[in-house]
Amino acid sequence: MTKEEIIDKINSVLEEEFEVDKTLFLPDAPLMKTLDLDSLDLVDMVVLIEHNFGIVLNNSDFAGIKTFQDFYDFLYEKLN
Amino acid sequence: MPSWAGQSRGGSFGYRFFIFLIRYFGKGGAYAFLFLVVPYFALFAPKATKASWQYWRKIHHLGRLTSFRMLFVHYYRFGQILLDKIAAISGLDNDFEYDFFNYDEFLKVLDGDSGVVMIGAHVGNWEIGGQFFGKYAHKLNLVMYDAEYQKIKKQLESVMGEKAYHVIPVNEDGFTHVFMIKEALDRKEYVCFQGDRHVGDGDKHTLEATFMGRKALFPAGPFQIASRFKVPVVFYFSEKENNDKYSFRFYIADPVKRTKECKPETALLDQYVKVLEERVKKHPEQWFNFYPFWIDLNS
Repeated sequence: MTKEEIIDKINSVLEEEFEVDKTLFLPDAPLMKTLDLDSLDLVDMVVLIEHNFGIVLNNSDFAGIKTFQDFYDFLYEKLN
Repeated sequence: MPSWAGQSRGGSFGYRFFIFLIRYFGKGGAYAFLFLVVPYFALFAPKATKASWQYWRKIHHLGRLTSFRMLFVHYYRFGQILLDKIAAISGLDNDFEYDFFNYDEFLKVLDGDSGVVMIGAHVGNWEIGGQFFGKYAHKLNLVMYDAEYQKIKKQLESVMGEKAYHVIPVNEDGFTHVFMIKEALDRKEYVCFQGDRHVGDGDKHTLEATFMGRKALFPAGPFQIASRFKVPVVFYFSEKENNDKYSFRFYIADPVKRTKECKPETALLDQYVKVLEERVKKHPEQWFNFYPFWIDLNS
């Protein structure tokens, strides 16, 4: 998958699951705050990503992710 | 909104004193001491006393006189169970008999090919059964609120040593526990929650259900996590049958699916509430949530 394809897919998945307009998913926007995620939403997010991208996530994966750009970079790296 | 404060009452002095009593007077002697302790708590723990009073009056619909008596029975049973737990865990007195219900089915689930979520309640005395997990104990992960964990850890580690099982401390502001739970389930381990206490008032963290005829809030976490990770779920209860006997009951939850009418976590909670009601009706004096549990109890 190219980075653009990953971004398109994850934005659509997040928009549908968390009911937040994807136009708000700007590269520098804070991921958790924009999606209004709490710890239980994070469970949904983890399951969603693992299900849609076939990867396994752990705690350290999320440690450095602050913005959408961080998240896209992480997924691209993990998938390639 | 009623919620638990995230930390149980009782200090390290109390625990040490109980250990002293059991060591020098035996379990029976320590039980006798409860006749002094119970009136103290009935007088000087007004919030807990009020919660117990309302529980007997409005949930079990008992008269004033019977409720007054049951208030003391309630505290006494709580004290007995606390003493039993300390006696068993510390190895000072572990001469209990145990009955098991559905134990083989439960072990089949534990021996399965996935992690397991186990959901208990503050009914009876689940901790006393820790020894029966035997070879499974090292795969147990107990999820508890951080403040409670820190307190219990300090009080009991000195007499218990290091436990065979693991603790996943929940910090409301952090996400680490979510991954610790997920990673434990990925390792095909067992994650244990108490399904009847929530902290804070947030709507997103609670699920509403009718329990014992009145509306109450339950923590969303155990039910949401169990349903999202699609692992087998076991409801477990341990109850005191008499001075020297406990019973352990295991209920295997039916798998849940999302439907138009019902989210999977709600379907799972419905199953839990049904079983919990059954257990509370059987042993009403072993319901140990001494805070305003029901939403509309004051109305």
